Amino acid sequence: MGDLALNIAASGLDAQQTAMDTISQNLTNANTPGYVSESVQLAPNAGGDLLGVGDGVRTVGVTQNSDRLLATNALQTQGILSQTTSLQQILQGAQAVFPEPSSSGISAALSSFWQSWDAISQDPSNPAPRTQVVDQAQNIVSDFQQASQQLSNLEGNAQTQVTAAVTQANTMLQQVASLNVQISDAKGAGSPPNALIDQQNEIMSQLATSIGAVSVPQSDGTVNVDVGGITLVQGSWSDTINATGGTGAMSLVAQSSGATIPASSGSVSGQLAAINQYLPSYQSQLDATANALASTVNTQLSLGFTATGASGAADPLFQGSGAAGLSVNGAVATDPQLIAASSTNVLPDATNNGANAQAMAELYNAPTGPDNQYQSLIEGLGSQVQAVNNQVQAQTSVANAAQQNLQAIQGVNTNDQMVQMLTYQQAYQASAKLISTVDTMMQALIQAS
Amino acid sequence: MTDVMGTNAISYTPAIMANQMISGLNTAEAQQANDEEQLSTGSTINQPSDNPAGAAQILQLNASLARAQQYSSNASDAQGWLSLGNSTMNQIISTLQQAKQVVESVSGANLSNQPGSLQALADQVSSIGTSLLNLANTTYGGQAIFAGTGNVSQAYDQNGNYLGGGAAPTRTVAPGVQVSAGVTGEQVFGSGTSGLFGSTGVLAQISQDLQTGTNASINNVQTTDLQALDQAIDQVTAQAATMGANYQQVQAFSQQATNSQQVLQTQMSGIDSTNVAQVTTQLTQSQQAFQAALWATSQLSQDSLVQFLG
Repeated sequence: MGDLALNIAASGLDAQQTAMDTISQNLTNANTPGYVSESVQLAPNAGGDLLGVGDGVRTVGVTQNSDRLLATNALQTQGILSQTTSLQQILQGAQAVFPEPSSSGISAALSSFWQSWDAISQDPSNPAPRTQVVDQAQNIVSDFQQASQQLSNLEGNAQTQVTAAVTQANTMLQQVASLNVQISDAKGAGSPPNALIDQQNEIMSQLATSIGAVSVPQSDGTVNVDVGGITLVQGSWSDTINATGGTGAMSLVAQSSGATIPASSGSVSGQLAAINQYLPSYQSQLDATANALASTVNTQLSLGFTATGASGAADPLFQGSGAAGLSVNGAVATDPQLIAASSTNVLPDATNNGANAQAMAELYNAPTGPDNQYQSLIEGLGSQVQAVNNQVQAQTSVANAAQQNLQAIQGVNTNDQMVQMLTYQQAYQASAKLISTVDTMMQALIQAS
Repeated sequence: MTDVMGTNAISYTPAIMANQMISGLNTAEAQQANDEEQLSTGSTINQPSDNPAGAAQILQLNASLARAQQYSSNASDAQGWLSLGNSTMNQIISTLQQAKQVVESVSGANLSNQPGSLQALADQVSSIGTSLLNLANTTYGGQAIFAGTGNVSQAYDQNGNYLGGGAAPTRTVAPGVQVSAGVTGEQVFGSGTSGLFGSTGVLAQISQDLQTGTNASINNVQTTDLQALDQAIDQVTAQAATMGANYQQVQAFSQQATNSQQVLQTQMSGIDSTNVAQVTTQLTQSQQAFQAALWATSQLSQDSLVQFLG
């Protein structure tokens, strides 16, 4: 009797000890990213006793409280959120390029420019207002150049971010592959690979937020990594992603197959959308605005005559095209008398006639003029930023909810662990008490004999 | 961990609570920052994404406002030209009236035997001619007001030749509306030898007839010359009336430009202005929400079974 009771109690001590170890492991990892809480699985030992008393308790194993469905859902929502967030950051940067509505934006510069033409018409023979028109034109040109440069910088930064993220992703793909090897080795050796799986989960979570990768679990306990239907990790093999193409045409390519990887979530996908779609569109609208300015002004000038009665067609105010390429005609800047402010070539009238300049000032709201182009650029940009802001807000609550659901299963609940700790502590004490009681009983027997 | 406890209640881990608090803090702080921005700038649209259609409208209204301000500026420039033009015209008319008085004074007495006083009258008419020429060359801001869009500094040379342009300058005072800021000297005084200042013009003729001093020439002064002078006065008066009418017109458009600026500003504040009472209330609410979130965060992890287990 004593022998069996002692054995049973001893197995209880062992089991409670393992359970306490598990709780200790859980509590220390409460804040470890990717950690999945563990619980100990206990089972009664069937005994060899004829009466059917069991043979104590045994630890079947320590299992992870994981939920694949919730984990996948959390990863996907996180990937979509980080796609939108990275796009939001770039679009907000683009919005900051155009400080509107304000008194310092391109819109205000255009207004001042148009008004300066009426100043010529008030005193056409005076060089001062003509110089002012040239100055205003130069202001606008430098505003355009600056805005265009800032958009290019945003695009360059986004490209750098993509390249850096791809380099990091490649390292992580290798890590997933090497963890696959370690996991299958550990399984082969019969030891549970829980810590390795935690590590792999954490890497997968980073891959999901970065390139929108999805893990596909295999029957042997390893995972394949899949992005948009293209397998990048399989067992011990991992592919390399290359970011190719530049402005407006950047894409991710799998090195082994040369196939384009259609990343549809993750921060890289948001950055690619900005590089290939949003920023080039803003750039081309800005170019169109600059071209509209040049053509509107130069066309009106060509209808007029300079102070010496020469046709304005020979002396356009703006040269070049596109926001970055626009410039003020050097000849006119040097000699503002070449501005075709007059509507007549008859002398001496041409010297002091400002009718063409008056007509120019009225073009401030020309339907095909730069102001309308610019307003639609601002409206479009504003709408897109607003939409992406709203998306981020909605997706944040979705991702938080998914994360919360996952945490509720996988996370470490301190209160819960504390209660379990007390339970196991009491069970341990009870087993210990049992041993001392059996000891007392045995001693009583020895002394009696 | 439902296996041991046997409960199905949603499990809140410290990590979830921490995330919720961070998210709550961020939301409350963002709302507060947004309200504060609206109050400090006085405007609800501080970047295009705040209200994209509104932002585009504001840009358009701003451009229209700048344009309306320019119309005001153009109108006041035109008013300057026209008011100087009108007062100059009045002086010209009164100077011509003096010439007429001289001519009429000849008719009052038989002066045929007094060449000296005839000469004095002739000199008087000549000097009237000189002062009229000076008046005709009046400038506004360095520009001769009767030179039209032509010669800037001078409308007439010493011989009475018109040096200016063929049209009066105009000012844009409303969309598509241009008002003349004056009249050309040609319209008022004519040009060349037969013009008011020319060698065969009416003043030169009077002066010459007085100097000749014959009965016939004195008769000419009293008849044909006087008629011609009356015609010249009529001509100037008619042009003065045109300028006066232009002045009235410009004044009306100036008022209109001022009104439209007010309308545009009202429209703009309708789209853009912060409702101070509303936003202040919102700000108080979001401050309270932020403080509540802060308080909740300060309580984080204080309430746990760990504390009670010692």
